[in-house]
Amino acid sequence: MNTEDSLNPILRIQKIVKNYHKGSIQVQAVQSISFDVSKSEFITIVGRSGSGKSTLLNLVGGLDRATSGHLFVNNADLTKMKRSELALHRRQTVGMIFQSFNLIPSRTALENITLALAFGGMKRRDRKQKASEILSRVGLEHRLDHKPGELSGGEAQRVAIARALANEPDILLADEPTGNLDSKTSIEIIQLLEKLNQKQHVTILMVTHDEELAKTVSHRILHLFDGKIVHQQILRRIS
Amino acid sequence: MRIDDQFLLGLANLWRMKLRMILTTLGVAIGIGALVSMVSFGIGMQKNVTDAIRENDLFTSLTVTGQEIDIQSAMQGNIEGVIESFQAEAPLLNRDALEKIQSLDGVEIAFPEIVFPVKVRMGNEETQTTLRALPASMGQFKPFNEIPYGHFFASDSASLVLLNPSVLKELKRVVKDPENPVALSWEDSARGVRSVSADSILGKEIEIITSVIDVSKIMQNPLNYLNTTTGRPFREAVTPFRIGGLLKEPSEFSDSRFISGVIAPIGRAEEIPQLGFTSVRDLFDPSGDTEGYGAFYVRVRRTQDLDRIQEKIEEMGYNTFSIMEQLDEIKKGFIILDTALGTIGIIALFVAALGIINTMVMSILERTREIGIMKAIGGSENEIKGIFFFEAGAIGLIGGIFGLILGWIVTRIANVVANYIVTQQGGPVVDYFYMPIWLLLGAIGFSIFVSLLAGLYPAMRAARVDPVEALRHD
Ligand SMILES: Nc1ncnc2c1ncn2[C@@H]1O[C@H](COP(=O)(O)OP(=O)(O)O)[C@@H](O)[C@H]1O
Ligand SMILES: [Mg+2]
Repeated sequence: MNTEDSLNPILRIQKIVKNYHKGSIQVQAVQSISFDVSKSEFITIVGRSGSGKSTLLNLVGGLDRATSGHLFVNNADLTKMKRSELALHRRQTVGMIFQSFNLIPSRTALENITLALAFGGMKRRDRKQKASEILSRVGLEHRLDHKPGELSGGEAQRVAIARALANEPDILLADEPTGNLDSKTSIEIIQLLEKLNQKQHVTILMVTHDEELAKTVSHRILHLFDGKIVHQQILRRIS
Repeated sequence: MRIDDQFLLGLANLWRMKLRMILTTLGVAIGIGALVSMVSFGIGMQKNVTDAIRENDLFTSLTVTGQEIDIQSAMQGNIEGVIESFQAEAPLLNRDALEKIQSLDGVEIAFPEIVFPVKVRMGNEETQTTLRALPASMGQFKPFNEIPYGHFFASDSASLVLLNPSVLKELKRVVKDPENPVALSWEDSARGVRSVSADSILGKEIEIITSVIDVSKIMQNPLNYLNTTTGRPFREAVTPFRIGGLLKEPSEFSDSRFISGVIAPIGRAEEIPQLGFTSVRDLFDPSGDTEGYGAFYVRVRRTQDLDRIQEKIEEMGYNTFSIMEQLDEIKKGFIILDTALGTIGIIALFVAALGIINTMVMSILERTREIGIMKAIGGSENEIKGIFFFEAGAIGLIGGIFGLILGWIVTRIANVVANYIVTQQGGPVVDYFYMPIWLLLGAIGFSIFVSLLAGLYPAMRAARVDPVEALRHD
């Protein structure tokens, strides 16, 4: 599966396998998937529920370990990393957003961002400034001191996006970011991701149910079925 | 993420779970409170004893006694050993011995212990007590260098005595102290005790009455000398003195070698006719010259000379005893007491530590998702461990501080209660608890240490949370 820029990919996935054990039964969540992601690419993975999309994203995000295969991010192999190195990868190289937002409910929008900045090692006095800057980039300058419970779904996902981008990662990983949103808000979020990809050249690896919406913004769409890539659509060139 | 971030996050978490954390912290506070109050009691006792020993100047003196029975042999049933120890040439504590001891380098004063029962009469009042003879040179040392009324006698042959307040009370007088007026108890008033000024007592005549054997009466009727019709073979000897001063009421730590109802100059006291009990022969020796004394009091110039002088005297064949020698034993005893008291506090603290473990494991279970989020945004295992570790440490610190406050309040109340009870029974006012700074810092340090220890397992659990598992949407 080639891309235009396969010689210098930001992410290179090689024969990655992930098996789970449910009692005595083995679940092959990801079965020998290989593909590359180029810098500034917006790539979407679609597939039925249980096809292994989240598992794949978690492997790239360094939240989970592959059973076999290799995962190169900026030429560093994730499958060979120590736990502390994986933490560093999650902190610096990738940013993740989820269907259920996963914001810390007891903290305000601003504090959710500053926490990420704190993990990123920024000095305390610089964090607030930086956090509000990022929040205004996603259009939330008026919601800094709101707790997640006081935000709409769309706003919460924007905070999550802002948090994912706080430490300026190389890749944004989005696991069904519109899964909990109505169609109007879904479009807004997808357009925000598109804007980030177009204007700020953020590399995006997104997982979604909504193939139609994905088609409007993605460079490429991969179809996953039973843990395998069964089809690839190239929609447009990376500008 | 820096250490201070982890600390602040730990604090914020504590604040979020206010009630639960307050209860957990209270547990620690109670543990620390128990620990410090228990240990401060032990330390207070030790301080009171050592202060009193120092106060009463017991570190520079020793008592010399004659050869004793070999108790160890006796206990082991070694009769021969006992007999041997009896037969051993035991040197007498006589004037020669006293002179030898006095001439030792570093000896300040040495004098024989002379104490005997007397009757005291002042005006129409009489009472039984003991008379102790001391040399005038003791006047420069505690407790005689600061007697409340009058003066210590200036010469060994002065006809002056010092009276203990309790003897004075038996003679139905109590000195009025304008600075510290004490109301007479109902019983005392009923007995006719009167409050008088010290001046009216000082210089007053007082008679020291002793019993002596009337040998002529025994000769008159040797077979029935207890027959009351012919009169007992005792006769009373009256020696006149004047009251030279009044002593302080002795405390429980006062040197028992100086406690006596009446204290008289040694030269004058030896002239008082008396029944000697040192030897049966004394009874029939009209010269009254005793063969030996029961004990010598020896005072050295410097504490560091005590060991050396003690050894020298033992080389002469005598037994010696000094508080210094006992002090190590006393200290050991207090270490055992402190440990026993401390153990109670430590048990309370370990119960509190279980509370910390419980609370933190609970809160980690509730916050699994949050921990997963922190991991997803880049939190390392060490950082997450640190956050929970600091949370535990903060419980220890706050609990420790409140524990000290609690312990302080408890000991103050206990002190008031204890003093109330003790003074009711005529005891002195004493601070029973003592909290040195090392105890306070040590208790806080220990509290933090135990709390961190308790936080170890929960922190490890938090660090090991599987983010995929934690973030799987429900
Ligand atoms: N921790 C796990 N233990 C066991 N099976 C798992 C685990 N996580 C995922 N699976 C299984 O792996 C397969 C893929 O899951 P997932 O990646 O979540 O699919 P998707 O995100 O496409 O819906 C499913 O069959 C799922 O049940
Ligand atoms: Mg999924």
